[in-house]
Amino acid sequence: MKKLFLPFLAIVIFMSESILVDLWPKNEWYQDYLFAPRFLFVFILLITVYVTRTYGMIYGFIFGLLYDVVYTEILGVYAFAFTLMAYVMEKAMKIFHNHLAVTCFLSMLAIMMLEFYVYGIQLLIGKTDMPIDQFNSHRLLPTLLINVIFLFLFSYPLKQWLLKFGRDEREE
Amino acid sequence: MPQFFLNKRLILLLVSIIFLVALIGFSLKDRKELTWSEQFVKDTTGFVQLLFHKPAQLVAGFFENVQDIKNTYKENKILKERLEEYVMLEAEVQTLKKENEELRAILKKKESLRDFVAIHATVIGRNPERWQETIIINKGEQQGVKKDMAVITPGGLIGKVQHAAQFTATVQLLSSIDRKNFISAYVQTKNESVFGLIEGYDEKRKSLLLKQVPFDAKIEKKQLVMTSGLGGIFPEGLPIGEVEEVVPDQYGLTKMVYVKPAANFYDIDDVIVVKRKIDAAQEEEEAK
Repeated sequence: MKKLFLPFLAIVIFMSESILVDLWPKNEWYQDYLFAPRFLFVFILLITVYVTRTYGMIYGFIFGLLYDVVYTEILGVYAFAFTLMAYVMEKAMKIFHNHLAVTCFLSMLAIMMLEFYVYGIQLLIGKTDMPIDQFNSHRLLPTLLINVIFLFLFSYPLKQWLLKFGRDEREE
Repeated sequence: MPQFFLNKRLILLLVSIIFLVALIGFSLKDRKELTWSEQFVKDTTGFVQLLFHKPAQLVAGFFENVQDIKNTYKENKILKERLEEYVMLEAEVQTLKKENEELRAILKKKESLRDFVAIHATVIGRNPERWQETIIINKGEQQGVKKDMAVITPGGLIGKVQHAAQFTATVQLLSSIDRKNFISAYVQTKNESVFGLIEGYDEKRKSLLLKQVPFDAKIEKKQLVMTSGLGGIFPEGLPIGEVEEVVPDQYGLTKMVYVKPAANFYDIDDVIVVKRKIDAAQEEEEAK
């Protein structure tokens, strides 16, 4: 039963992104600033750091692919990025001291890299013509802001829970 | 060099990059249908999404209602004024409809491009990455939704069906940039209809671009823009918006019209997928 809770939580977070964007009050701020919740991505990074790398990469691939199929309809983009970033995150954590603040900071860096990567691909396939300065001010900053809030609220409880989950997993 | 190729991880990375490019190429190809596996995943998540979305919508709806109550008095005043106009219009529409039917009967022309069957659907999700403005609705091929069908709200046209799975469908909003996203439209001027193509969206001005309009066309502000029903499977006469500004285009050979969309692309809860009656009739004949 306990084992099933991790995928369940991942699914809930996966759905919450779409629901948040859909039910957000559609005011001027929403229309001008394109923020993208990356809660699932953050969750995958936290799994990598606090459970194991294998877990993180498997979840990254499965949910990245799900993200591609369900939302963007351009296959492979997120599946590749989530998996790779989970791997890079684990390597980075080996260098730095394992502390929640460091994890949060690295997550923000990872989100930034992800945003640039997706922006690059969108430019490459001609789905957007947004100039880089507009991308910085109208996309990157609001995205970082909304994810900082998420990290601030949920990183600590998620860390505690994931650590416990990792311990239980190792004992078995 | 040999060492480079011996590094297993690097090779894995390179192979997956090649795989990624191939996959992107595959999904950008002009696909008529999604693969069955994609459809299956979409339908399954669609079902789960519906479960989560309903309660969340209720909670959000409550806060919205509180907001609405604040504006009620003002709105009520305006609506009351409108009501009188409405009664007159209603009477006029009724007589015109009757006349139209009679004339059609004389011409023995039963179906026009205007008639459509409405498929009502609820929005169950929105693309959270927001590069492409797409929404997910809870009706799919089983309910008659097909690729490229027009999607409207009571306000007007909002987009078209990008892909349909069995029980869900993705709707691409007019506000997303797509070079293949042409919609044949016309401007209702006093004497004639001026045709053009909706070819894009200006994000800064928040207006649609109607291009390929003849240079000598006399278009004024506030004139209505509607779908023409020519080409594709859109019915005729769905409102798109009204003329905001007319400018000569890049090369000065044709005009470009900025169209202020009639529907709100952001606040969408329920939509109607529009199926042309002519197409429906044809399908039935084919089935026989």
